[in-house]
Amino acid sequence: MGNKKELILETATILFAEHGFNETSVAHLANLTQSAEGTIFYHFKNKNDLFLAILENVKKGILDEFSGYMGQGRFENGLQMMEGVIGFFLFLAGKKEQWFRLLQRHYPYEFARSSEDCRAHLEAIYNTLVDLFEEAIRRGQHDCSIRSLPERKTALLLFSMVNGLIWFKFHDLYEPATLYDELLAACKRMLAPDG
Amino acid sequence: MPVVTIFSGTFCRKEAVAEKLIQRTGYRRVTDEMVIRRAADLSDWDEKKLHAAFAVKPSVFNKFTYEKERSMAWIRLAVAELLAEEGLLIDGFSGQVIPKEVSHVLRVCLIADLQPRIRRAMETRGLSEKAARQHIHEDDEQRAAWVNTLHNMRDPWAPGLYDIVAPPDKMEIDPIVDLVEENLRSEDIQPTDASKRAAADFVLSARVGEALAKEGHNVEVIARDGAVTLKINQNVLMLGRLQEELKEITEKVEGVKSVEARIGKGFHRADIYRKYDFEMPKLLLVDDEREFVQTLSERLLMRDVGSAVAYDGESALSLIDEEEPEVMILDLKMPGIDGIEVLRKVKQSRPEIEVIILTGHGSEEDRKLCMELGAFAYLQKPVDIDVLSETLKKANEKMKQNKTARF
Repeated sequence: MGNKKELILETATILFAEHGFNETSVAHLANLTQSAEGTIFYHFKNKNDLFLAILENVKKGILDEFSGYMGQGRFENGLQMMEGVIGFFLFLAGKKEQWFRLLQRHYPYEFARSSEDCRAHLEAIYNTLVDLFEEAIRRGQHDCSIRSLPERKTALLLFSMVNGLIWFKFHDLYEPATLYDELLAACKRMLAPDG
Repeated sequence: MPVVTIFSGTFCRKEAVAEKLIQRTGYRRVTDEMVIRRAADLSDWDEKKLHAAFAVKPSVFNKFTYEKERSMAWIRLAVAELLAEEGLLIDGFSGQVIPKEVSHVLRVCLIADLQPRIRRAMETRGLSEKAARQHIHEDDEQRAAWVNTLHNMRDPWAPGLYDIVAPPDKMEIDPIVDLVEENLRSEDIQPTDASKRAAADFVLSARVGEALAKEGHNVEVIARDGAVTLKINQNVLMLGRLQEELKEITEKVEGVKSVEARIGKGFHRADIYRKYDFEMPKLLLVDDEREFVQTLSERLLMRDVGSAVAYDGESALSLIDEEEPEVMILDLKMPGIDGIEVLRKVKQSRPEIEVIILTGHGSEEDRKLCMELGAFAYLQKPVDIDVLSETLKKANEKMKQNKTARF
């Protein structure tokens, strides 16, 4: 039964990511996972509950992936850490496309306005990511690989730049691979000490 | 000495009143232009940009820049610092930013009826009647927008906002100035320790507001004896992050002893919150009392519930086929097919529609019968709109389950 629940979660993540919350029917999900609708509602009270479980799962996944990466990473300094974080962020967005597609949908943010749990999950996800950007800047300022600048605001700006590339990719606006080198160069120009 | 503020409609002889008052009292006059100039010095923004604070509609970029709100922060600071001086006559929009807790302010409003103002505009500016009317309309709109932004009140001349509201079309200048002078001597508006503390709180909150505005933030600031409370009125997902940043900026402001940043009323934008919290049903109202049903329909519309209306059983039944309502509110006593019959038919042909009975003269037997026939709820008139909304919400949830069950 445990496997069934996981299967439902994974399948639903892909469906919600691909088609959105409203366009995904429980019947379709039941069909794909070869389970009865009753089974789905046994595990998750309703569609919103299912969505929250998915979001929690995504949150845990992103957290685990990053802590795994940071655990093994040996960065000489803050600027290198920043490069590492950006690189891994883009790598993960490719590897776990469904997570990031889900995060680029409108529904989670709509739902967050009325659901405290939903907003808590989303805040935790974004904090995990932006905190790493911020940490890298702080570290870099400490070891002098990054110059003095407002770390909080800079972290948010850099994050939105990288996140924008993922947006480009998922919506077929432009091929982000062609921008990757320039992204790192721009990031260095933004952060490196003067002279 | 107390401070005097004058806010007025255009063509309400404000100049004459202000001049006479200064002659008699020796007060120093501070105009909006002077306040803006001070704000420009404080902010390094140009005066034109700061003037945007008074505009009815902010620029389209305001959503990203909060220029209007930031301008207001500087205007507030300019006024707050001015209040340290005595014997001031603050004339125009700026006086409105002084909080009501600063009680040593005599708030004067001059407003005449529309006709005399139009006549005055025609005489003094040589405008046609139409142009004068248009002119005054625009001026009033600007004042209303300003007052609404600051006090959340639609009527810029609301008596509650002022100590004196004088009609310059019905009173001569001298008696108006007499009245102001007389009130200036009143015990109630002399500076007290409490009102001075309130003025100091106003300065501190304005300083914090300015420090935050400089960094692009737009939050409500409340200061009390050095304790500052920040209220976040925009929904921000990364809330923890924002709170940290706001605190950090605020702590650096001189005179701040403690800071608390919390969610304000506007954080969950009520309209959106309501819409997603409670997806509204397609509603059919059936009642032969036209006035009642129309009022109800309007009140529900204010709560985002759109409704179709039928005044008798026959049209209700035909509307059900055309409009496919999801929830019905039904009266029992109607000419022709009565409510019970409508209920019976609806439940036979469209069982997924939830029916709320709302009646003024139902008996216990009626109630029983209706519930047996499958009514969702049985309410008595007059009904509390909150109770009705709540019932509608539940009926809607039930109807949604009915629908899912069918597919």
